[in-house]
Amino acid sequence: MKYLLMIWADELPTPEDLAILQRECPAWSEEMNGRGVRLFGRELDLPETATTLRVRDGETLVTDGPFAETKEFIAGFDVLECADLDEAIEVAAKHPASWFQAIEIRPFTDGLELGEKAFAFGRGEDGAARPYLLTMWMGGSPAAPLDDQAVMDEGKAWRQDLEARGLQVFGNALGGPGTATTVRVRDGETLVSDGPLIETKEYIAGIDVVSCADPGQAIQLATQPIARYLAIEVRPFWTE
Amino acid sequence: MTTSAVQRAVDTAFREEWGRVVATLIRRTGDWDLAEECAQEAFAEALRRWPADGVPQRPGAWLTTVAGNRAIDRLRRRARGAELLEQAGREAPPPDAVEGEMPERFDETDQIEDDRLRLIFTCCHPALPLEGRVALTLRSLAGLTMPEIARAFLVPEATMAKRLTRTKAKIVAAGIPYRVPPAHLLPERTSGVLAVLYLMFNEGYSASSGTELIRAGLCDEAIRLTRALHQLMPDEPEATGAVALMLLHHSRRHARVGGDGELITLEEQDRSRWDEAEIAEGMGLLESALHRRQVGPYQLQAAIAACHARAPSVAETDWQEIAGLYALLEVQMPSPVVRLNRAVAVAMAGDFEAGLAIIDELSGDARLERYYLLEATRADLLRRRGDPVAAAEAYERALPLAPSEAERRYLSGRLQEVKTAEGREARP
Repeated sequence: MKYLLMIWADELPTPEDLAILQRECPAWSEEMNGRGVRLFGRELDLPETATTLRVRDGETLVTDGPFAETKEFIAGFDVLECADLDEAIEVAAKHPASWFQAIEIRPFTDGLELGEKAFAFGRGEDGAARPYLLTMWMGGSPAAPLDDQAVMDEGKAWRQDLEARGLQVFGNALGGPGTATTVRVRDGETLVSDGPLIETKEYIAGIDVVSCADPGQAIQLATQPIARYLAIEVRPFWTE
Repeated sequence: MTTSAVQRAVDTAFREEWGRVVATLIRRTGDWDLAEECAQEAFAEALRRWPADGVPQRPGAWLTTVAGNRAIDRLRRRARGAELLEQAGREAPPPDAVEGEMPERFDETDQIEDDRLRLIFTCCHPALPLEGRVALTLRSLAGLTMPEIARAFLVPEATMAKRLTRTKAKIVAAGIPYRVPPAHLLPERTSGVLAVLYLMFNEGYSASSGTELIRAGLCDEAIRLTRALHQLMPDEPEATGAVALMLLHHSRRHARVGGDGELITLEEQDRSRWDEAEIAEGMGLLESALHRRQVGPYQLQAAIAACHARAPSVAETDWQEIAGLYALLEVQMPSPVVRLNRAVAVAMAGDFEAGLAIIDELSGDARLERYYLLEATRADLLRRRGDPVAAAEAYERALPLAPSEAERRYLSGRLQEVKTAEGREARP
């Protein structure tokens, strides 16, 4: 099964924690790549670089900052291929961020396809463009008519268009908040709990990674028909 | 065979075999709802056929075979339905896996594997919501119906139905494995399973009044399931310890509730009403667990309960031993409540100053800020030491924090008592 590990932070790491992350993360990535469980992963730019957009009554509303008005923010993610949730928990618990922050595990729904572009993204080979994360927040109003085939088709057509234009790195729907598991490690003990890290009415329903020349293009890409039922947060990945 | 004899045989089989039948079907089909439905149908079939055919020699194998064949039939029908849809030109999943993986006919007559351990570890997986873990364990292992579980937890049926559905859905969607965890996870996960079973027990045990009989039934289910776990994991002394702990507490069930449903403290219980058979069994199990020399929190708590069970009265209780056991428990399970209990034992063993000193230390603990038992315990120890003035003050602090009418009544009674004593003392 394919899982998304979301690394949640509630503040910028202290210098001591940062030193641990810098020392331990490469070893973790190397181990998990070697085991074949980690497909790729990247750090995101700081939350203040995010832009959130909604399409309401045919109008695009763009606001500055991340969607969730909580102090927690996603600092980065990894995509895993694991035998089951126990393996994903074990991998998450070995990630140094889980020792002082929290990691949320969410299964992807079926159909995630990863090509060479996704793996190049994981290696940081971005070329002239820059990767952006589009986080799809669902559950606000108006609610999406989930059983409406036309709406589903809109989303599908949007992804196909991105792919045809060579802008899509990868993207897929995630299992709902009921499938989420949060992992923390404290005093050497793995603490597993049910549910997403932030429990709000809105939840992350899927992610897309796109490769764009500038933030303007990323926002323009996110302005899609299905955005009338969503809030879409656009944030660049961290680049050296 | 008479109808009532058959009914009895089916009832017995239900208690003993339900969990096993469901567990095996989940392993074979991966479908929790299908497993429950087919198990139910197998028991209905037993009621129809056993009167004429007689009760089979191995009812469990018979039931599993019948339920399994029902499951195969249903999966075939589903696959055929999918095929028909496909022929109709619509997009539909191919009828894969079903035909290939399922046997021609189900035959569990050579059943050797007991799948219940798999089932219990999956139901009690830490990534599931805690309430869902308890409910799913009662449904799939103990065979309680959804409405029964809803009544036991005092929630509407719709709420419980949703809870069960959501818990089962997470197992499938999040990829929670159906297995006994590997060795490196086993200690942690076993204590997780025991925590669910003990929570189930306490949920029933804390129900005190006669109208809550259904909730009291939770105690029996918890004991039965923990016993099964102990039999399936005979080398796990904590499972044995948990059965012992539950039995030793359960032995006091008739003595701890008065005629009006009020709780009676250990001190005032009529010890002749304690269940001697359960005490004897609990003690025996505890002893066998302690022989393994891997002491854990359940064995320690059972050992404390055993000290009480052995004593003819509060005064003749080995408080020294209990204080020592609480000290050990505190190392394994550091908690302010455990420490508070140690304070009581230390004081009751004769050293009131040391006991009260521990309580003073605990007063600064934010976790106990709204915990009425901190002040109530302090009051109780001061009263016993013969300090009615300070005791009255502590009872007055405890009163507004007490969570129920029964507890408030108890504290008010004590407050009156020490105030009277105070008056007597003040007089020359």
